[in-house]
Amino acid sequence: MTLVYYAANLGLFFCGYVILALGLNIQFGYAGVLNFAYIAFWAIGAYITAVFMLGPSTAFSGETYILGLRLPFIVALLAGGVAAGLLAVAMGGLILRRLRGDFIGIGLFALSFALYDVVGNYTPLFNGWAGVIGVPPPLNFFNLNAEQYILYYLIPSGLLAVLLYWVAQRLSRSPYGRALRALREDETVAATFGKNTFRLRLSAMVIGCIYAGLAGGLMIGFLSAMAPASWSAAETFIIWTAVIVGGLGNNRGSVLGVLVIIILLGEGTRLLPLPLEMQSLVPPLRGIIIGAVLIAILYWRPKGLIPEERTKYHLVASQNSAANP
Amino acid sequence: MNSFAVELGFGLVAAGFIAVAAVGATLQFGITNYINFALGDYMTIGAYSAWVLTSRAINFWVATAVAVVIGGVVALLISRFVLAPFVRRKTPVLYMLIVTLGVGLIITNVIQLLFGSDQQQYPASVIDQSAFHLGPFLATPNQLITLGLAAGLMIALHFMLTRTALGKGMRAMSDDPDLARVAGIDAGRITDWVWVISGGLAALAGVLLALDVGSFTPAFGELFLFVIFAAVVVGGAGQPNGAMLGALITGVATSLAVLFVNSAYKNDVAFLILLVALVLRPQGIIPSRRSI
Repeated sequence: MTLVYYAANLGLFFCGYVILALGLNIQFGYAGVLNFAYIAFWAIGAYITAVFMLGPSTAFSGETYILGLRLPFIVALLAGGVAAGLLAVAMGGLILRRLRGDFIGIGLFALSFALYDVVGNYTPLFNGWAGVIGVPPPLNFFNLNAEQYILYYLIPSGLLAVLLYWVAQRLSRSPYGRALRALREDETVAATFGKNTFRLRLSAMVIGCIYAGLAGGLMIGFLSAMAPASWSAAETFIIWTAVIVGGLGNNRGSVLGVLVIIILLGEGTRLLPLPLEMQSLVPPLRGIIIGAVLIAILYWRPKGLIPEERTKYHLVASQNSAANP
Repeated sequence: MNSFAVELGFGLVAAGFIAVAAVGATLQFGITNYINFALGDYMTIGAYSAWVLTSRAINFWVATAVAVVIGGVVALLISRFVLAPFVRRKTPVLYMLIVTLGVGLIITNVIQLLFGSDQQQYPASVIDQSAFHLGPFLATPNQLITLGLAAGLMIALHFMLTRTALGKGMRAMSDDPDLARVAGIDAGRITDWVWVISGGLAALAGVLLALDVGSFTPAFGELFLFVIFAAVVVGGAGQPNGAMLGALITGVATSLAVLFVNSAYKNDVAFLILLVALVLRPQGIIPSRRSI
């Protein structure tokens, strides 16, 4: 039974990270926005979902946080996504306007560090470094025990991941997705064809961050707690690596990247047969492997494990023959 | 006691080690045209190298000099064997940033693997110093050494850039790489040297920062990276004189801010300066030809 529990837990992480990777792929894979603050949007989604579900904070419990509305999970989850989207409007509106791509990354990174410090030090917001804890398990209508619940929670998690995958696919094949790719390939050309490059970038960032917020809200459902320690900058790079290894600009690649980097590499290093006193070597070893894999893939397979498909545009036959009689 | 003067003094010391790292970073950016995200980790390498050597009973300042050499050599090797292959392929700057990020991730974790993630500090004989009054200021011998070293290095770099063939070559490459190549400047040699200089200066800044804050961890340089970037961007990315000015602004502002806000937000003042510069004047105080 513990093996089932372990597998179900892994399944939940997989769903959450797939949503995260899809959102980052929309931002960087399609639109080329270097969002180094990405994990912060995941955290905001989780925090907002948590404080929408929890009751008001009391002086008695020693915890302090805003809101505390005791609303149903669906409302709280949507609020988490909206909050992440609004934060993206604010941050993107500030940074995306006229900077070179790599300096956009620097600016967003600095903003996420500042946000991290504020959330950690200003306790009335989300209970500071201790974080919000004890978020009730969502959608638990049947009084399931912990083990059954994990299995049951796979259903809504899987459904949300599939739904968001479908949305991402639709987006990438729409005229909007083509405009984003044009912007990524050559900003001047996109602007010449009348595309507002700032708004395109901002919209891609907002959509991607809504994905991150929803992933955060979904994952707080089984993590039940959120504190600054779980969204340090290093966490962003793991998702970045997953998306790049899988193949940028391609949703199947993002899913594969999560499977390889988060599940295989993450769990594989955890299961290394090391004696107990050497277990502390696992996190740094994992970091070294992730860095090395990232560099190796960028060098030998820059398009990732599943390269982005080249879109072919077929002229309609009748038009063709009309043009060349 | 005049706390304003005291904080101003601390700010000048901070400006000193920020400038040491920022000038190297801005020189390197001017010549390679991509941001080095591993710079903070070169600082960490400096701090740990000096620590390892000092714990082997080597004089601290000798250890620091060796740490500077180690920083320069590591930066050169990484440039030659990791970054240069990407540059030869004309990898876009966005991806170069991600490559250096991967390099930084590896360095942090190698240091953690070797020395653990605990806080370390230099031996008491190095850091336990009593502060003395110097007019309205309060200073320790280490702080005065930091200031002296930084000022001396800035003057030396200025002469290097304006009087020597290597320095003139650097400025020429930063202004116009193609024209410099046509004029017969050896781009490879200049690139090697700029990495040695920027790595060595970062290592020195790492030691001085560790002296200033008292302790260090494998991640400590990375956290300080954005303070350096703030100085670089405010001054004008690619401009050594701008970076000195940016370091002065950043160092003094973060120290004086302690008088007004909780000191937990000290580094956020630097982030704020960086953001304001990026939003309002991304070309910096002294604009260079490179557009950001």
